[in-house]
Amino acid sequence: MSTPASFEAVSLNDLESMRDEDRDALPFGVVGFGADTIVQTYNATEARMSGLDPATVMGVPFFDAVAQCMNNFMVAQRFDDEPEIDDIVPYVLTLRMRPTRVRLRLIAQAEMPRRYILIER
Amino acid sequence: MTDKSSEEQLLEFLYACPVGLIECNLAGDIALMNPHAMQHLLPLAGPRDAGNLFIALEQHAPELRSIVEDYAPATGKICDGHRIFVDLGQGRRAQAPKVLACTLVKLGADRLMVTLADISQQVVQEVRLRQADTWFATLLDGVNEYAALAITPDGRIASANACFTKQTGHDCAAVTGHNLADVLEADTSGGDLQLDEQLEIAARDGWHLQEGWQQRAEGGRYWCQRLVVARSDGDGPSLTGFSVVLRDVPRREAAAEDMRRLLTIDHLTGASNRRHFSQNLEREQAHWRELRHALSLIVLDLDHFKAVNDTHGHPVGDVLLRRVAEVCIALLPPRGIFARLGGEEFGVLLPRFDHDQAIGLADDMRKAIAAMQLETPRGPLKVTASLGCATLDEAGGSIDALIALADKRLYAAKREGRNRVYRSAARAA
Repeated sequence: MSTPASFEAVSLNDLESMRDEDRDALPFGVVGFGADTIVQTYNATEARMSGLDPATVMGVPFFDAVAQCMNNFMVAQRFDDEPEIDDIVPYVLTLRMRPTRVRLRLIAQAEMPRRYILIER
Repeated sequence: MTDKSSEEQLLEFLYACPVGLIECNLAGDIALMNPHAMQHLLPLAGPRDAGNLFIALEQHAPELRSIVEDYAPATGKICDGHRIFVDLGQGRRAQAPKVLACTLVKLGADRLMVTLADISQQVVQEVRLRQADTWFATLLDGVNEYAALAITPDGRIASANACFTKQTGHDCAAVTGHNLADVLEADTSGGDLQLDEQLEIAARDGWHLQEGWQQRAEGGRYWCQRLVVARSDGDGPSLTGFSVVLRDVPRREAAAEDMRRLLTIDHLTGASNRRHFSQNLEREQAHWRELRHALSLIVLDLDHFKAVNDTHGHPVGDVLLRRVAEVCIALLPPRGIFARLGGEEFGVLLPRFDHDQAIGLADDMRKAIAAMQLETPRGPLKVTASLGCATLDEAGGSIDALIALADKRLYAAKREGRNRVYRSAARAA
């Protein structure tokens, strides 16, 4: 990789084509999941912030098992309602059970099966 | 198996827990919370701080702060399953929670444990059970307690039983041929349906049951359950008349009355709570839709109330809120509802009030509030309010739109200088 992709600029295609090590090296959290919300990608940065082992997060329904705090109309519902999203929203997560202000970037494209949430502390 | 640390296991457990867990201090500042708690809290907080329990819930459960303040023991359970109604005027997804249950436990001088759980489904079931209860109660209690009448499709009495005479004081033979609505003279000053309106619904749905005050021949009144059932002959759908059953329901038990107060009244001010307000709003919306009853809403917000709290402290602010509720409730028409919607915001629900009547009452409330004076250690305190009115007609029948319109007018009144009821230029002209 030439330059590290930024939180605002990285595209869905960049994320898809990235090698795992490069995704892990990003300074922000990356979670990729399918239409069924099952987690397919969980990078090392996100694992460090949440305190969870990626191995246990992969394969679980994201909004039910890990990110219930996003399971409302502000985040989860948008992936149901909007086939195309690229939006940055201020949010409060409960990383390691502490209220933590973050910025979320929600990314979905109609023709792409995997959607992404990027998390910047 | 991966070799997970115990901390990881604990975190996984808390991330996945389907009940909200919060630890905060007595001021509401949150130290720890799990994702499920945030799932509910963040949407309710809106632009306010989701890091403080009381601030985040200020709009939907302003009573929480005073419930905690009023709890004297050093430790113990402050409340168990306290219901927070969150479905008012937000136009959210259908499966979004409508009722949360909140349990507060005081663990020490400045430490609270809080749980939040979505009990919407449970509440829906309770309502269904209550309706079924009323229905079975009417069917199962002693048959002799019933006044039973047969009436024609146009509302005239074809026959009435002896119990009708005993219950209402009207001779059951003499009333035959008369219009039942004229005989009954129900108290129609409020939101109760008149008999002809009940007949209309029964003709459409098959039956209708309601409770309300009923007048006896000598003028006294009693609480009456009135069931109207449409009758048709055998096969054809054509209506041949109605059966009407009247039942003199004994006064409600004191315990049930306490429970009703607990469920419908705002802890601090004695005004109705959001839940009661929201339920009645839906009921009146149904009446509007089915029978075109007028419905008006006033929203009332105290001017510069934050300054009162900052200058005089919360206890004085609380007394002021109570006084405002008192003077406004005194002005209410029968069946009108005065409710605390959040911090210093109140709503007045006015069945069968048109826009001009609502403006008139809003102005009376404004004057009554402006005339109040509260003695405080820092001298006399006065307060004013700004008000906005809207009717369900103007809002096209939508509760969300009704609240939004009244709110918009309230803020227009604020912008125009406060201590006023908003009047649109078109209406004033």
